[in-house]
Amino acid sequence: MDEQTLLDKVTALDSAVEKSRVTANRPAVDVTAEALVGFMETLKNTPDLDFNMLCSHTAVDWIKDEQFQLVYQLYSLVHAHHLQVSVFLPRDNPVVPTVSGIWRIAEWQEREVYDLFGILYDGHPDLRRLFLEDDWEGFPLRKDYKDDFMLDETKK
Amino acid sequence: MALITDNLPTILKPIPGGPFVLSRVDQIFNLARSNSLWPLVFGTSCCAIEVMMATGAARHDISRFGAEVVRATPRQADLLIIAGTIVKRMAKRLRVLYEQMAEPRYVIATGSCAISGGPFMYHSYTTVRGADEIIPVDVYVPGCPPRPEALFFGLLTLQKMIKEGITIRHPDKRSKPVTASLPQGITMEDLTAEMELMLKKDADVDVQKESESKIWVNMTDKRL
Amino acid sequence: MSVTITTLADRTRAPETADSTLATQEYFINMGPQHPSTHGVLRIVLKLDGETIREVIPVLGYVHRGIEKIGEHETYRQFIHLSDRMDYLSALMNNWVVSRTVEMAAGIELNDRIETIRTIVAELQRIQSHLLWWGVFGMDLGAFTPFMYGFRDREFATDILEETIGSRLTMNYIQPGGLAKDIHPDFVSRVKDYLRYLKPKIAEYDGLISGNVIVQERVRDIGPMTVEDAVSLGATGPVLRACGMPYDLRKVEPYGVYDKVDFSVAVGHTGDSWDRYWVRVEEIRQSIHIIEQLLDNIPEGKHMTLKPTAKIKVPEGQYYSQMETARGVIGVFLVSDGKPDIPYRIHVRTPNFNNLWCATRIAPGFRVADLVAIVSTLDLVIPDIDR
Repeated sequence: MDEQTLLDKVTALDSAVEKSRVTANRPAVDVTAEALVGFMETLKNTPDLDFNMLCSHTAVDWIKDEQFQLVYQLYSLVHAHHLQVSVFLPRDNPVVPTVSGIWRIAEWQEREVYDLFGILYDGHPDLRRLFLEDDWEGFPLRKDYKDDFMLDETKK
Repeated sequence: MALITDNLPTILKPIPGGPFVLSRVDQIFNLARSNSLWPLVFGTSCCAIEVMMATGAARHDISRFGAEVVRATPRQADLLIIAGTIVKRMAKRLRVLYEQMAEPRYVIATGSCAISGGPFMYHSYTTVRGADEIIPVDVYVPGCPPRPEALFFGLLTLQKMIKEGITIRHPDKRSKPVTASLPQGITMEDLTAEMELMLKKDADVDVQKESESKIWVNMTDKRL
Repeated sequence: MSVTITTLADRTRAPETADSTLATQEYFINMGPQHPSTHGVLRIVLKLDGETIREVIPVLGYVHRGIEKIGEHETYRQFIHLSDRMDYLSALMNNWVVSRTVEMAAGIELNDRIETIRTIVAELQRIQSHLLWWGVFGMDLGAFTPFMYGFRDREFATDILEETIGSRLTMNYIQPGGLAKDIHPDFVSRVKDYLRYLKPKIAEYDGLISGNVIVQERVRDIGPMTVEDAVSLGATGPVLRACGMPYDLRKVEPYGVYDKVDFSVAVGHTGDSWDRYWVRVEEIRQSIHIIEQLLDNIPEGKHMTLKPTAKIKVPEGQYYSQMETARGVIGVFLVSDGKPDIPYRIHVRTPNFNNLWCATRIAPGFRVADLVAIVSTLDLVIPDIDR
C-alpha cells in the first residue's frame, strides 16, 4: 500500500502512536515505550501490515534535547512496504521493553545498542555487552563519552 | 652444484671425493631458517585476503620463498605475519600467541593498521595504534592493503636480516628502518630528504586542477 | 521493570547435572579467535556433548574498531574510505550504498553512464567475491585445489578492476556524485575476454566440486533452515534465498540499472548448506549474464557530477537506504543535523550480522565438522559484523 494509507492505518492502531516528529525518507511513526511491545505485535500479526522482518535497530543520542531516540526499521516481505518506528527515551533513565519475543534477531541488536549506548531492555533474556569486554566502563557511542585512549586530530 | 653453492655463506674447497665446505654453524642455521619460514595463520581483517590468501595462491606464490607451510598453531610456527587491525580485545590474544611461539621467532607487521593503527587511528576507542605496542616487530610492510609483491619484499628483507643475524629483541621499542636492505648507493639521509620534499609538494596540490587533467598511461597488456 | 545484566561467565557455566542416559557431561569448548576455519576473528564457544553441538555462543568484538564513532567525526567522502573496510570482499557495493544514501539525502543527480558503470563493476565484484568464497569453501572442507582455482580466476577480475580503479581490494571508487575516475579505455574488451574465459570454467568447477560425493555427503541436509526462522533472524542474501524466499533487492527495489536488465534469481528449497552453495554458484552465472547485457551499451557522459572540493549539504533528517551485496542486504541509516559534510550519526546495517546468528539456530544437533561447513556456506566476513 502507498505511504499515506500505511501511515494512516498504523497511526490508527493505538492512541500512543503518532506521525513522527523527525523528517525521514520513509513512513515514520513515534510510539511511547510502554505501548511499544503491543504495537509491534500488532504490526507483525495484522494481515494487511505483516511486518515480518526487523531490518535494523539502532539508537541516536540527541544530547541537546537530553533524549535517546531508538529506531526500528521494519519491512514486510509480503507487501513490500517499510516503516520506521521511533521511541524517544529520557537520557538519564533509558529503559524500554524488549521486542526479542517478536523478532528473534532483536536479542542481539538490542545487545549491541546496550553495549554502545547503555539503553536497558526490560525482559531481555541475556543482556550483556556484545563488542566490548564485559568490564568496559562507559558507553562509547554517547556524545559525552570521554576516553583518554582516543586520539583526536590536533591539526587544523 | 654451482647454482647452489654460489650464494652459500661458506668457503668452498674442491678436493677429490667432493667439495669441502667451511662455514660457521650460525650462518648455516640462519640460511636454513630464513629459507623455510613457517607463518602462523593470523589474519584479522582486510589484509588477510591480500597478504595471507593471495600470496599463498597461484599467481603470487609464496612457496617460492619457502613460506607456504602455514600452521594454525603457534607452537609450530616461527613467523607471525600480522595482517589486519589489532584492537584492544585482540591484543591480549596476540600477546599470548606470540609468547607461545618458540624462539627464534620473527614478526612482520603488514598494512597500515598493524604499523600505526591505519585509517582507524583517530577517534577510535579500541584500535591499538600499531602492533608494535604489543609485540616486537622486525619488518614493517606499508600499504592498505599491501600488494602481495610488497609482502614479498618484506619477506626477502626479513630473510636478509636473518642471514645477517640482526633481528630485534627489544619489546616496546620501535625499530629504525633496516639499512641493510637499501639498494646500492642510497643512504638514509637521501631518503629522508626526498621524503620531506615529496611531503611538501603534496601539501600544496590543487585538487580541482589535478582531477580535471588526468592523463592515462596506455597499458596494452593483453595477458588474457 | 527489572533489567538484569549478565556476563559471558554466567552463560558458559558448566551444568551441574550429567546427562541421565549416558555417563557423559556437557562441556564448553572454545573455538577461536585465531582459528583456520573462522574467516576472520570469530570466537565461538561451543557447548558440546561428545562431538554433537548443543549450543553455539558466538563472542564478538575482536575486530571492533568503532567505525560508527569515527563516522561522526569524518566527512562523507572519508566514510566511503572506511566503508570499504567493513565487508572488504564487496567493497564497491559498500561504497555504493553509502554514496546512494548521501545522494538521495542531498538530492544529487546522476547520469546513466555513472549508473551503468556502477552496476557493471558491482557485478564484477560479486563474481570476484563468490569465487573467493568458493575457494575458501573447498579449503574449509579440506580440499586445497578449489582454493588455487578460485584465486587464479579471481586474480583476472582483480587485474581488470585494478587497471581502472588502482586498488586490488579496498576500492574507494564509488563516491557521492559519481565515480572517482572514468573507466579505462580497455575496460570493455578486457571484461569481454574475461567472461568468455570464465564461463567454461564455472562448468568445470561444477564437475570438480558440485558432483563430488565427498562434498555432497558433507553438505547435503546439513543445517537446514525454515523461511520463518530466516525471516525472524533477518537473514538476507543467498542465506534467505536458499530457504525458498525469492527476496533479491535488485528485483524488489531496483537501483542502478538493474530494472533494465534481464536476470533470474536463484532460489533453493530446504535452506541447507547445499542450497546455500548452489545459490551462490548460480549467482555467478547470473552476474555474468547481467554484465554481458550492459557492456556494449555504456552511455556517454561525465563520470562525476560533483566537484571534488564541493561540500555535501544534507538537509536535516533521517535517511535509510538499502542495497544487495554479495552476502545480503546492507543498509545505511544516516542522521543529519544540517551540518555540511559531517553526519550526526551513521549506522550501517550489515548482512553478516544477521547471517551469523542463523548459526546459533541451525547448528545445534550437528557435529563440529558440520559447523565448519555451515559457517563456510553462511559466508561470513567478521569485520562486517564487528564494524
